[in-house]
Amino acid sequence: MAKNDSLQGSLDLLVLKILSRRPRLHGYAIMAAIASTSGDVLHAEEGSLYPALYRMEEAGWIRAEWIKKDSGRRARIYELTAAGKKQLGTAESRWQSVSLAINRVLREA
Amino acid sequence: MISELLTRIRFLIFRKRRSELDEEIAFHLERAITTRIAAGMDPAEARRQALIEFGGIEPTREQCERQRPGWWIGTVRQDVHYAFRGFGRNPLFTISVLITLALGIGATTAVFSVVDRILFRPLPYAEPSQIVSIGFVHPLERQEFVMGRFYVEWQKDQTPFSALAAQSTGVHNCDLVENDPMQLSCVAFQANFLPLLGISPLIGRNFLPEEDRPHGPPVVMISYGLWKGHYNRAPHILNRMINVDGNPVRVVGVLPKDFQFPTLEAADIVTPFALDPAVQQTVNGGFGYPERVFARLKPGVSVVQAYAQMQPLFNDDVKWFPPSAKSETRLSIRTLRDRETRDARPVAWVLFGFVLAVLLIACANVAGLMMARGAGRQRELAVRSAIGASRGRLIRQALTEALVLSFAGGLAGLAIAQVLVKVFVRLAPTGIPFISEAHLDLRIAVFTALVSCICGVIFGFATALQKPRMAALNAKAAMSRNHAFLRRSLVTAQIAISIVLLSGAALLLRSFTKIEDQNLGMQTGGVLTVKVALPWWRYNTNQKVMDFYLRFESSLRRLPGTRAVGMTDSIPPGGWQDDFRFSDLRVQGKSPFPPGTGGTVAGRSVTPDYFNALNIPIIRGRNFSDQDRTGDEREVILSRLLTERLFPGEEPIGKRFLPGAHVSGSGAIVVGVADNVKNSGLTEQSDPEMYTLRRSVSGDWSGNHLIVIVDSAMPAAAIEPWVRSEVSSIDRTIPVEMEPLKLALNRLADRPHFETTLLGFFALTGLVLAVVGLYGLIAFMTTQRTHEIGVRMALGATRGNILRLIANDGLRMLLVGLAVGLGIALAVSRMLKSLLFQVSVYDPLTYILVPLLLALVALVAIFIPARAGMRVEPAATLRAE
Repeated sequence: MAKNDSLQGSLDLLVLKILSRRPRLHGYAIMAAIASTSGDVLHAEEGSLYPALYRMEEAGWIRAEWIKKDSGRRARIYELTAAGKKQLGTAESRWQSVSLAINRVLREA
Repeated sequence: MISELLTRIRFLIFRKRRSELDEEIAFHLERAITTRIAAGMDPAEARRQALIEFGGIEPTREQCERQRPGWWIGTVRQDVHYAFRGFGRNPLFTISVLITLALGIGATTAVFSVVDRILFRPLPYAEPSQIVSIGFVHPLERQEFVMGRFYVEWQKDQTPFSALAAQSTGVHNCDLVENDPMQLSCVAFQANFLPLLGISPLIGRNFLPEEDRPHGPPVVMISYGLWKGHYNRAPHILNRMINVDGNPVRVVGVLPKDFQFPTLEAADIVTPFALDPAVQQTVNGGFGYPERVFARLKPGVSVVQAYAQMQPLFNDDVKWFPPSAKSETRLSIRTLRDRETRDARPVAWVLFGFVLAVLLIACANVAGLMMARGAGRQRELAVRSAIGASRGRLIRQALTEALVLSFAGGLAGLAIAQVLVKVFVRLAPTGIPFISEAHLDLRIAVFTALVSCICGVIFGFATALQKPRMAALNAKAAMSRNHAFLRRSLVTAQIAISIVLLSGAALLLRSFTKIEDQNLGMQTGGVLTVKVALPWWRYNTNQKVMDFYLRFESSLRRLPGTRAVGMTDSIPPGGWQDDFRFSDLRVQGKSPFPPGTGGTVAGRSVTPDYFNALNIPIIRGRNFSDQDRTGDEREVILSRLLTERLFPGEEPIGKRFLPGAHVSGSGAIVVGVADNVKNSGLTEQSDPEMYTLRRSVSGDWSGNHLIVIVDSAMPAAAIEPWVRSEVSSIDRTIPVEMEPLKLALNRLADRPHFETTLLGFFALTGLVLAVVGLYGLIAFMTTQRTHEIGVRMALGATRGNILRLIANDGLRMLLVGLAVGLGIALAVSRMLKSLLFQVSVYDPLTYILVPLLLALVALVAIFIPARAGMRVEPAATLRAE
């Protein structure tokens, strides 16, 4: 469980992206999705994921809802709001320009 | 089976469901575990792995809660709750902190309430910093005055001011003649006086320009006090005709409730000043009448610039002055605040400094107490830190505790302040401006809140600065080095500040006893002073005044027990007296003195019994006699000091004065020399003095000062009703004021008494706090070292060694504190100079006794806990391990 520092800053982006592709996921599923879609490279830690979810909910990017699971347990699922979509757009383009810039630096160094 | 397991897990992790967040985390864990079990993992191992992967549940929960806006409100409640529980467990600590804080804050607030008006609060006028008092000053009159003639010119020619306005030089007695005659005080000011101050009447209107002219329509404004007290706040007072001094006048306005004359005098009735430029050119030798002038500076003009611009006008004016006055008269422009509070400012600053020092000691004490408590709580803090409390959270906790304490202390302090202000106002002598109005108000409450918050933050940080160390979890709580140093420095500083306070108070006490013990040169016991306010509009000739007083004198003489009845225009040692310039005296056969030399001479116009009533010895020649009162010759008696100045080595009796200062008509002859009497207040150097005989000739009875002195064998309380009835048998409506001379004298000493009491009180408060701090520290350190002492004794240390070990620490703090304190005290005692009488600011006695006193008290505070340390039973402490 190596800590991946570069993940911390972009956790919001990852969560937003996952939710935009597959709406109505609960926390565990989000974590699992991050791991599986990244081919097990990226691991979101619970200690960061849940605070991030609560923060984005406060910011109005995502909204949460309780649903009844088949097991009889309640699960809290999240989906993107309109503001969240917009935020995803800005975050994505910022990420891309940053990674582009870093790539350029790496190439020329 | 799985769900059963999951339920068990859930209950294992979460004893009870606390929130949705808990539920969500539980769900997460369930999923993590089921996934692992599905992948073929053993259920117990799956649970273990899932929990490990999740990490700290509590920090995650806290992190999530922090995403909510306002999450910290909950923790504040927690912190406050926790703080209260802590205080409850440790009541002794809580009470000592509260008392220290309450005393510190209470004293600060009370003193701030008193000095606020004097030092900080703007005067109650519009843009008060632009208002100045302007005029001439002279050694005989140190408050600015302007002669009418020059005022008229200044109004035309001045440049620095946007307005000038004059008022009469002082209030005078006047009578409101209605069914029931009432004596009031009246003053006159110009129509632009109120606008200059930025004040408008409460009801009605200001004087109109046409009313502020000679022979204008008779109108007055009345004070709020008169309106409320006498007219019951009736609105139809406006335009009503009232009778003042026998003249009907129309009331046009009522002054605002809190209106304050710039001269700080109280007046009930204001009349238009009605300046007549033509008259001012002729009366009073062409100078016009003196008046008080206030002005508003134009925007951007400073007092210094205004002074420079007025200088040429002043130079022109001064050419008209008689040569003697020319050299001594100066132009003076100062801000109104300066005029109103100049005398009170040194006391106010000293008081303020004292009380800040006390607050400092109190703060240091509380900080010390908190730190001691913090040291005792290191284990607790370390535990809290270990179970996940962040450093910020711990600091916040410490701050919360400090703030809760200081808030409670502040509340208690406000209560104390309320009482203290009442006491101050009760104790306060007259002549300290505004003090009677001092009260706690919103500003002061805010000030207190601020002080307590600052205190809170200071100790809060002092406590929070100690980082909880993991070592504290198992180690016995020990004081860290830094921490010990900080506490020692605090106590040393407290001792140093106490020295400063105590030496200040001791200097004042020495000065006060000198004032009390000085020889006044006259007797004051058993002497009653009687002042009769004759309404001038009925007693409008000197003859009528004289007739009244002569009748009064002879009726008083008939009272049983009367030994002497004297009459005079003034009584030493304080208050008004007819001062004149030494250089204006003209002695027959001697050349005139150079103008401006010799200073001031006190003049008094007395009847022969004055010397008997006050028991002032005639040391040469004779007293005035009753025959002299009806004779044509004018006699004078000189004080010993004046005789020595005028006739050194000569026979003074029989010398003649030519008409000049204080001597009129055909001159006067010296018949006697009286011993010196203290005559320039209790604390100033006495002036030479000249007594003229008040003869039974109407010309000698001008002037409105007259005091009757009765020396009686009977107690004052017994003769007062008799005196009253004697006055009313002559004139029924005249008010009489009576006071034993002793009381009047005590009032003169009121101010030093007030200062000494107050500063003494604060110095003692400071001393007590500092000694408590010293005691607390030594006691604390002794307890901390119990184990060490046990070991030392087991290894053969004697009880004497132990005593030395503990006491050394305290002694070092004491010695350093004494040295530093003495240094500071010597450096700052200069500030007390203006308050001291015949005591040097470096008074050796003070600087020997004060450290001795403090050292004595401090030694006791060191010795008691040190003795406790000495009695430690080595076996008991070692077994307790």
